[in-house]
Amino acid sequence: MDVDFALIGHQESWRTAAELLAVLRGPQRTALPDDEIKDILPWIPPRAVCHVDIRSTAGAKARGVYIDSFIPPDRLDAAYVHENIARVRGAAACAIKAGAKIVSLGGFSSILIEGNVDQLPQRRDTVFTTGNTLTVAFIVQGIRRMCYLAGRNLRTSTLLIVGATGDVGSGCARCLAPFVKHVLLSARNQERLRKLAAELKCGGMQVDMATHLQQFSSAADIVLCAASLPAPSLLPYRISSGAIVCDAGYPKNLCPNADMPDARIFFGGLGQITGGMKFAPDLDGILNRHPFPDVVHGCLLEGMALALEGRFEPFSQGRGFITPERVEAMESIAARHGIYLAPLFNADGPLEDALHRQTAGRGVVVGEPTREDFAASPLA
Amino acid sequence: MEPLLDVNASPMACSSLSSSAPIWQDILAQAMTGELLAAMNYASLSEICDDPAEVADALEHAEGERGHAASFAAEGRKIGLEVLHNVDAKHWKRLREAFLRSIAQRDFIACLIVQEIMLESFAVASYSRVGRVAPGTLGQTFARIAAEEEDHVDHAMSILRAERALDAQRFDDKVHRLHLDVMTTLAQMLAKECKDGHCEVCHASCVKPSLFDVRLSAAELRGASLRQYLKTLDMLGIPGERTLEWVTQLPV
Repeated sequence: MDVDFALIGHQESWRTAAELLAVLRGPQRTALPDDEIKDILPWIPPRAVCHVDIRSTAGAKARGVYIDSFIPPDRLDAAYVHENIARVRGAAACAIKAGAKIVSLGGFSSILIEGNVDQLPQRRDTVFTTGNTLTVAFIVQGIRRMCYLAGRNLRTSTLLIVGATGDVGSGCARCLAPFVKHVLLSARNQERLRKLAAELKCGGMQVDMATHLQQFSSAADIVLCAASLPAPSLLPYRISSGAIVCDAGYPKNLCPNADMPDARIFFGGLGQITGGMKFAPDLDGILNRHPFPDVVHGCLLEGMALALEGRFEPFSQGRGFITPERVEAMESIAARHGIYLAPLFNADGPLEDALHRQTAGRGVVVGEPTREDFAASPLA
Repeated sequence: MEPLLDVNASPMACSSLSSSAPIWQDILAQAMTGELLAAMNYASLSEICDDPAEVADALEHAEGERGHAASFAAEGRKIGLEVLHNVDAKHWKRLREAFLRSIAQRDFIACLIVQEIMLESFAVASYSRVGRVAPGTLGQTFARIAAEEEDHVDHAMSILRAERALDAQRFDDKVHRLHLDVMTTLAQMLAKECKDGHCEVCHASCVKPSLFDVRLSAAELRGASLRQYLKTLDMLGIPGERTLEWVTQLPV
């Protein structure tokens, strides 16, 4: 039976890979030792792992399939880019074979393909979306919510975006820059940085850019890591005390530690499908290991939202086309089906209750906006 | 007397061959045993075929596999080695017995699944890897035979796909039943270490730890074989999530 949507992903750590293989192996067999997992997993060709049934709060249902590209968690760097693109191509072929009408590219797959969409296999009735528009939406909503909970004023803040020229980074820059005092853009590609900075400056925004974090003279109050930091230890020197830090990179590699004791770090780009989601076989908590139920990366949720809406179109493709208007349109589609920003959390667990307690003590939280409010007026 | 080394081999190949000859001897012994077992399987298959064309086909395949075994033996002689084989070695014997159970049931399709999907996946993948690293004609022979075995698989695929089209559930269940029998044994053979004693094919101690010396590894041969097997099952149309479960449940 053909499916409505397909989600292409991979395991972000050897621990999650081990958990996935343990479930597939069954409880009656001993778990594979770590060295065997590292030897076997890279040889597994991309394939469907489970079916995914989702439900909209508006009553619609959709059936999908999760396809793992089996990119080994330690092969996410540039040295493996061709091998990994081949794996994503293989996963895309599986999605086509499954009859998926829309395919979301999750995690690193999206990063690999955002500039290489022409390398995906083609079929008339299957479209691909990187899912980056909904990822941007949830990052922006998360930053706004974190500011609200921490009693911060976005408009007086300096925002640093690391990985600013990627599809997600540049989309976030376009959405957030008009609402902050000063924007610092950081990325490796000088030419792309210059282009993005010029675009934002045309809108009257105060923008600085640098290829290395050390080159910035001012410290940031809000940091968005849209790319995994090769050296997270550099970050503390560029942020002010108590800064809000959104880790939206893949894989996420920032955690509250001694280097940034005052920083309020949260994982960005995640949403929750409140109508519910079921895996068969039951891989709940394995494929979506988060402290809250039915939480999924925005990139994957975009395909689900479009499937529930019956809009099988390549909503996000290429690099640099995410605008505030597109983000708002995607947020509206998602919200219609009960797909909202996930409650905020980081590697240590949920954040919002603790923030509530802290800010309530200072009398900050009055008439708190709901997640629906954030989705309904994303850029207000 | 046979020349000790192939005249076409490069000086680098000659020196690496002489130092690693005991490793190649064991690799050739495993390959030759597999080919002779395949020849026996095809000969047995010919006995249950009703169609004269199928009988001729099976006998031709048996002859081809014997030819492969002879090629491996010849490669051994080129480097001054006598390649011994042992189709009664414990793992190979179990594989033969599994095949004979399908023969006893006169189940032509099951025989094809065991020989062409399971055993040949292992042969194609491992010969291809060996072909890449083995020097001179030794490598060429492994690569050539890998390509010929792949042709066998292609031939069987059309028959098996047609069979699956008749009743996919029944076909997939049969593959799974055979997988539990045959692939469990193959997985034990392909394990990184032979944990349950000597395989009875290697001429001395287990060759697996020495494979690194010829730029191979047991893990690589196992991985490549499992990948080939999964891809072959994909080509048959068996759902990927199902075959993934099967493979993850194999012993290591």
